[in-house]
Order: sequence, then structure tokens, then C-alpha cells
Amino acid sequence: MTIFNRLNPGNTANAAPNPQGRQTMPDNTANQATAPESKRPQAVAQPLYAAAGTGGPMTSVISKALKITGQLESTENIQVDGQIEGDVRGLSVKVGNGARVKGTVYGDEVELAGTVDGKIEAKKVVLTGTARMQGDVIHQDIRIESGAYIDGHCKPDFGKGGKASQPSLKAVAGEKTSAA
Amino acid sequence: MPHVTHLCIIPFGVRRGLSLESETPFMFTLARTVNGKPAFARGADQDVSHLGPGLTATGLFETDGELYVYGAISGRVDAARLIIAPGGVVDGDVVAQDVRIAGRFSGRIFAPHVTIDETGNVKGRVFHTTVTVAHGARIDGRMPWRPQSYFETLKELPETYA
Repeated sequence: MTIFNRLNPGNTANAAPNPQGRQTMPDNTANQATAPESKRPQAVAQPLYAAAGTGGPMTSVISKALKITGQLESTENIQVDGQIEGDVRGLSVKVGNGARVKGTVYGDEVELAGTVDGKIEAKKVVLTGTARMQGDVIHQDIRIESGAYIDGHCKPDFGKGGKASQPSLKAVAGEKTSAA
Repeated sequence: MPHVTHLCIIPFGVRRGLSLESETPFMFTLARTVNGKPAFARGADQDVSHLGPGLTATGLFETDGELYVYGAISGRVDAARLIIAPGGVVDGDVVAQDVRIAGRFSGRIFAPHVTIDETGNVKGRVFHTTVTVAHGARIDGRMPWRPQSYFETLKELPETYA
């Protein structure tokens, strides 16, 4: 018998031949070991990571308090309420009121209510009344609401090959680094 | 980088008041003003960011709030609280008041409070004052203890560690 056998509450072969006084001890340790063990992951992990378990596309939220300097790429939707310096690529990208993106926004759908200083390349583009767009918009389908500000060209060139078609993130990253 | 040095100066009384909820007022010496707002003037729901499982990002992440990572990010994270959810991957340097890891991390953590969950996988160095490691967590590296004052006075991250 090794020292470890004594500490193992599940070892019944060891616990059985013990005198009665000792038999209560493995029970106690077993209770102590299992009870908090089963409680802890539920109490801690459940509310904390609740959003992770939900299947399907999950929207990434860049909150007002978050500032990102760099590249973002997602196969899902992105809601930007904070600041991003760099390119953003997502399925559907929403740039909220008060948000700011300095770079190119790529997506299937891009909805702008904040500020973009750079470029938008998307199949479907919506500029809401609070939008402020400094740069070109390359689109297939565009809606511009009253009050939106655009300083740049709107070109219906999305998906027509050449430079206007979505370059891969690597190509974009390469451009950025070579420029810097 | 232009935004490395400016600090948020808060009157002593305000710090004291806030220290009741946060236990440690140090984050306000480290935290930057984001969107021109100081760390304490923030809404309840607008300071939680989620980076979804399909997201890959590289760069600098600065927030006075919480950052949940379900996807993969690399670079530098500067947050009040960083949570790496199961499946989330973070690679780089992290400065935070509170870090919770249930996903994978590699790099350096500078945080007074660190929790590593059962599913956590940590590679690198974890500078901490208090740390909790759950049974089943995988750690490959060092976990140097530092006093609270180390984090309070930490302005620039050390370049390298032997």
C-alpha cells in the first residue's frame, strides 16, 4: 500500500478492511471532494461563458470603451461601438453611432451610423443619418439616408474583379506593412 | 506608439470611493482614457466587449471595461478584466486587473488577480498577487508572485525575462 492509496476516497478495497473509526473518514472526504467540485463549474462558468455555448453565428461586440489598433477578421457579424484603427472584415459589419473606424471595412453588409475614415467595400451598404464617411464606398447596393455625410466616391464596383473585389486579409496586411 | 504614456489622474477621494467596489484602485493608474472618457465615467453595459468564436484579430486592445474572448487574438491586451472563454485563444502580453482563463493563453500576464479554470491552458509567465488554478488546468511556465504595489507602479512592461 502506498501513501496515495490512503488519500484516495474512491479506493473501497482499501477502505473496507479499515477499523470502524476510520471508515467515516473516507466518506467525509468523498463528500467534501465531490460536493464543491460539482457546484463550482456551474456557479462560475455558467453565467460567465453563457454566450459561447449558443450555436450559430455570434455577433462580436466592440464596446464603446474598447479601442483596437490592428486587424480584425471574422466569419460572423461584428458590431463596432468603439474605435478601430485598422481593417475590419466580417459577414455583417455595423458601425454604431459614435464608433470610429480608421481603415477599410469589408463585409457582405455594412451599416454605418458612426465614422469611417478609409474605405467601405461591401455588397450592401447602408449609410444612416448619423453616418460620416470619409473615403470611397465600393458597393453593389447602397442606401443613403438623409443626414449622412460622404466625402468620397461611391462606386458600384463590388465583386467586379480587379482591386475592388475583396482581397484576402493577408494581401491587405501585406499592403499595410509595406506602407508602414 | 502614441498612446503609451498618458495616465488618468483621479483625486484621491474618488479612488478611495471606487476602491470599495474594485478592491484595488490600481487600474486607474494603468488604464487609459478611451474616447476621451476617464475610466470611472463608464456605463454598465457599454464596457463589455465580446470577440466571437469566428473572430481573428491582431493588434492592441485597450479597454477600461471587460473583454471576453471567444475567438483568437494576438498582440497586446490592456483591460480592466479579460476573460478567455473556452475555445478562446490569446497570444501576447496582457495587462489587467483581473484575468480569467478557460481557453488558451500564451505569453505574459500582468494582473493582480488571475483565475485559471479547469479548461484553461496557459503557457508563459503569469505575474500575479493572487492566483487561483482549478484542478485540470494546464500550466506550462512560471507564475511569479508580485506585490500589489508592483502592479500599481507598473508603467511599462519589462522587455524580456530570463
